[in-house]
Amino acid sequence: MSRLKDLQKNLFGGTTSNARQFGMIFTLVAIIVLFQILTDGLTLRSDNLIALFNQNSYILILAIGMLMVIVAGHIDLSVGSIAAFTGILVAKSMAEWSLPWPVAILFGLAIGAIIGAWQGFWVAYIGVPAFIVTLAGMLLFRGGNQFIGNANTIPVPEGFRVIGSGFLPEAGPDTGYNNLTLLLGLAACVAVVWREFQARKTRREMDADPAPMWVSVLRMAVMVGAIVFASLRFASGRVGTSFPVSGIILVALILIYSFYTRNTAGGRHIYAVGGNSRAAELSGVKLKRVNFFVMMNMAVLAALAGMIFVARSAASGPQDGNGWELDAIAAVFIGGAAVAGGIGTISGSIVGGLVMAVLNNGLQLLGVGTDRVQIIKGLVLLLAVAIDVYNKSQGRFSVIGSITRSFRRDTPTPPTSSSDAEREPARTAVSG
Amino acid sequence: MRNLIGKSVAIGAIAALALTATACGSGRDGDSGGSKGDTKGFAADSLIGVALPSKTSENWVLAGDLFTNGLKEAGFKSDVQYAGASTTVADQQAQITAMVTKGAKVIVIGATDAAQLSTQVAAAHAAGAKVIAYDRLITNTPDLDYYVAFDNFKVGQLQGQALLDGMKAKKPNGPYNIELFSGSPDDNNAGVFFNGAMSVLKPEIDKGNVVVASKQTDVKQTAIQGWKAEGAQARMDQLLTSTYGNKELDGVLSPNDTLARAIITSIKGAGKPVPVVSGQDSEVESVKSIMAGEQYMTINKDTRNLVKQTIAMVKALQAGNTPEVNDTKSYNNGSKVVDTYLLPPVAVTKANAAEAYANDPKLAPLTK
Amino acid sequence: MSDVPILLEMRSITKEFPGVKALSDVNLVVRAGEIHAICGENGAGKSTLMKVLSGVYPYGTYDGQIIYQGAETRFSDIRSSENAGIVIIHQELALIPDMSIAENIFLGNEPRKRGAIDWKSANRMALDLMARVGLQEDPDTLIKDIGVGKQQLVEIAKAFAKDVKLLILDEPTAALNEADSRHLLDLLRGFRSRGITSIMISHKLNEIEAIADQITILRDGRTVETLDVKADGADEDRIVRGMVGRELSSRFPDHTPKIGEVFFEVRDWNVRHPISAERQVCKNESFVVRRGEIVGFAGLMGAGRTELAMSVFGRSYGVYESGTIIKDGKEIVLKSVADAIAHGLAYVSEDRKAIGLNLLDDIKASTVAAKLSKISHHGVLDEVAEYKAAEAYRKELRTKAPTVDESVSKLSGGNQQKVVLAKWMFTDPDLLILDEPTRGIDVGAKYEIYGIIQRLADQGKGVVVISSELPELIGLCDRIYTVFEGTITGEIARQDADPETLMKQMTSTKKMQTR
Repeated sequence: MSRLKDLQKNLFGGTTSNARQFGMIFTLVAIIVLFQILTDGLTLRSDNLIALFNQNSYILILAIGMLMVIVAGHIDLSVGSIAAFTGILVAKSMAEWSLPWPVAILFGLAIGAIIGAWQGFWVAYIGVPAFIVTLAGMLLFRGGNQFIGNANTIPVPEGFRVIGSGFLPEAGPDTGYNNLTLLLGLAACVAVVWREFQARKTRREMDADPAPMWVSVLRMAVMVGAIVFASLRFASGRVGTSFPVSGIILVALILIYSFYTRNTAGGRHIYAVGGNSRAAELSGVKLKRVNFFVMMNMAVLAALAGMIFVARSAASGPQDGNGWELDAIAAVFIGGAAVAGGIGTISGSIVGGLVMAVLNNGLQLLGVGTDRVQIIKGLVLLLAVAIDVYNKSQGRFSVIGSITRSFRRDTPTPPTSSSDAEREPARTAVSG
Repeated sequence: MRNLIGKSVAIGAIAALALTATACGSGRDGDSGGSKGDTKGFAADSLIGVALPSKTSENWVLAGDLFTNGLKEAGFKSDVQYAGASTTVADQQAQITAMVTKGAKVIVIGATDAAQLSTQVAAAHAAGAKVIAYDRLITNTPDLDYYVAFDNFKVGQLQGQALLDGMKAKKPNGPYNIELFSGSPDDNNAGVFFNGAMSVLKPEIDKGNVVVASKQTDVKQTAIQGWKAEGAQARMDQLLTSTYGNKELDGVLSPNDTLARAIITSIKGAGKPVPVVSGQDSEVESVKSIMAGEQYMTINKDTRNLVKQTIAMVKALQAGNTPEVNDTKSYNNGSKVVDTYLLPPVAVTKANAAEAYANDPKLAPLTK
Repeated sequence: MSDVPILLEMRSITKEFPGVKALSDVNLVVRAGEIHAICGENGAGKSTLMKVLSGVYPYGTYDGQIIYQGAETRFSDIRSSENAGIVIIHQELALIPDMSIAENIFLGNEPRKRGAIDWKSANRMALDLMARVGLQEDPDTLIKDIGVGKQQLVEIAKAFAKDVKLLILDEPTAALNEADSRHLLDLLRGFRSRGITSIMISHKLNEIEAIADQITILRDGRTVETLDVKADGADEDRIVRGMVGRELSSRFPDHTPKIGEVFFEVRDWNVRHPISAERQVCKNESFVVRRGEIVGFAGLMGAGRTELAMSVFGRSYGVYESGTIIKDGKEIVLKSVADAIAHGLAYVSEDRKAIGLNLLDDIKASTVAAKLSKISHHGVLDEVAEYKAAEAYRKELRTKAPTVDESVSKLSGGNQQKVVLAKWMFTDPDLLILDEPTRGIDVGAKYEIYGIIQRLADQGKGVVVISSELPELIGLCDRIYTVFEGTITGEIARQDADPETLMKQMTSTKKMQTR
């Protein structure tokens, strides 16, 4: 098969969802480059990148939880309301009961956990569809927000605002950069290289040939290059700014949840439940526990997202959380999750969310009004999912499949991708 | 094939690194940026950002058009943005940040939520942009430079007075039954309107001359979230059923035209005679309604004047002068007292409509 | 036969999917009024060929010609082939369970009177069509309230409503019991006498031998041969030879059982239906399994065999009422599937696609799915261990797939079944319950699966096999229980088992002991 496909497989792994992700990353880079040109270099300027993360971290955090909910075959419409409800309670707790802000954050997470337990109970143990439970939750907690807040806007203290609009301190010698951001970038580079070698080791342990060395080097070079570029950008913003604190929270959550969904039994169970709940149950998966967990986890993340937004806005207001569920759901589906559940990745959803975020930001920089921005975002969502559905129905692979199709004609196709003569050719989906 | 792709990716990677290297040269701006040059002004063709709430009332749409044209005439580049319909606050935050990124020298903000913009205003200030709060005061920030608005307390007073006058004209003697509505609680002005109106109505209520039959006199009970017409209509429906089964409703204090029309729709739907209803904003439909004898009054806060005044302030800033203000004491936003220019509102009833809208190309024909 | 006009000819049909050639140069000639069987192993290309014929893969997506009723036709979708009188009845029935028989028959084809559906004539026409397929039911009966056999008849009636000239049946008897199958075959013979042409895809070679006039055999996407049943004297062995390309000397591998002591026992098992509590699906059932023994459960569809197995397997079916499970001399209580797995039970379900596998998974994830703890430390999965385990089973069971990264949805039925078996072998069970382990699987793969089952028994495990195919039970099992309406009606040793005896006990409540 075509070399391009091999390359894609080597760089990003060979499974369908990975291929889909490759397409999305490709799209993301294309959009960034497009806007970088259209906005005359504003898009990748330090302050804009920082703003991009500040503005979208709470949506991306929601997307993490939403991905797990959707993979498990549910949906959560209540996240915006939960965020608003938590936000107002946390703001009040600091304004009226003078809770110190770190305690208030714990308080907020606890509220999220309690709400999550409530919704999880109905979904997992009573069996009410999550759509209904969270539709009810949407009304319930929106009402709760207005009941408690009397629709007032309640400011939050300076310390609390760090989680939404804070930056890393300036430390160490004056290098012309934010040193801590550079340090984070360095750590990320080391992690990338370490992971690459780890992956090669794993491949060898599986008695499989690791990708050719040049592919590994190239992959590391691309990723290290991207990280170096990003960290220099983030470190060179206005003095007092850096990679934002909300961004750090986001990255930490991405790492933790990616590991959880990919590498643990608990994560595997979520996919099993979403892929075929009856089969999962008959394989010994505790269905109720998994469903309870994803709903509860979502609510805790929604509470966190709500607090970050309140911190960023310096106040909790009655309009907090309006429409967030839709942004999060859109990110997850653009990122390649299946509506029926069982398919999707954290990183895909983040890329999906970033596509929307960059689009939003770029159009705003161009001075395009929100009305037209919404139209464009709606079309992008529809198109992204439609292309995927269309490709699946054509028996093709993914976005990248259609890109590489034109290359196939001129390269003679070996019978299968397997060079191992012992192995029988795959009987694929077309079996009789 | 293999080499081609390998090469192109490698070139891409090198290009990325090269870009990175050039990025290093950009250096860092100081903490307070260009804001040090306070009185020096800025280039005459600079970018001016205008961030307005979502297009829920004609008034904002008109203001946006006026800003676009007015700033263009004055020689500025303009970026006029409205918040989206549902995610208003987040949209506005992002829009203001984008304006800062684009290097706007002055940012005019009609806030969707007065208290949730302090981070963005601070960022604008740090980048050296001046921030003018338009129509709605932005609270809890020391970085707001000016506030320009109609005298909203006065608006309330005019509404209250007109309500009393109108009821008296219909029915010489009280007591009069009235109901009170107020605007969205996240809008700083809503409370000001209400307090202005109550400053006129309260003495009459205490005397027993005016009766709020539902006893809902607290601003929390009367507020309509988001200035939404359906909210006002629903509340009026519910008041009519609960309180006015066999009572007559003489007047309704409505904070603006959109709500006034919703209230009238509700009352007509219940088959009751239309009482005296106040309004504000001089929206087309309401002016028609006033001429038809349904809505009693509206307030003409000529958006043209407000925009004109704002652009005048922008021009003064451009030239390096201090803009004209007429109130430096009353508007404390929680962090500081903001220098303010207040414009006087005008009460309009059927009687003076032709005169009041004589200069308005859209409304003048309606009054003939 | 050559004087009979040709109704359909498919010439040099080639159909490619990315990376695989599903059909290459396939030829098929069907003469008017015959029953034409298409045979081949899973993955041979039978269904793909039928999809090309019925327009699922429209003209342009394949190479070759279709000549139908003397003219070349180019179907753009299923509708256009149906309009030409070609109707395909799929293995998975396309009926809507909550609609009535009449509604289903006329779905998408409703008789109208002034724009509205004319239910009076619809019902009358439905009765007429139902009579033609020998279905005696009220046309208002809901589909979900009739059995699979009758549902099949509704599908055929639906085809007649569309004025069918060529009826294609994909595995029509796969889900039917013997009586229903016989009825269906009689029906097909009746159609033949009325001049309707049928194409039938089936794995049940005895049925094909009994009914078909012509047999086209496909292997690996190519036409191997077309046999004329009468002229060529095509019997089962002949067909098998064509399908697998070699002679299968025996349908079952040789095996000498090494049977040990009783280690698993179920006593007085009573279970109620999960929804209608008054229905008892297991009535005082008791059975034992010895180490190294293959125990069969024979019964008609709906006899309650699956229900018995699943309720034992961690109460995964129905409402437990009473009964005890004794393993290795100790009573055990299995309240959940996890309990059952922990106690060394494994259940391979009859419906691997619906409840046996997560079709989104790849082979390795499927293999380890029922015992993740075996490849994880503190909940963190060990990728290498997972890969090695899956690879070992792939080799041991000779699963045909390029790597264990292959999605299970791309495997043929037989190979999927091997993955399911691997999944449960991975849990190291003492007792394996296999529910219809060879349903929808071709001859070659069946033979292999029988071998696997025998090896498992030789390892000292107990194996329970539930099957609707009596020859399979008789050939494979050391002992067979018969089940009728939720009651175990008999227990027959291997040497006494013959189809007649089993059938008698499967259809009567009278308990008999022939031991």
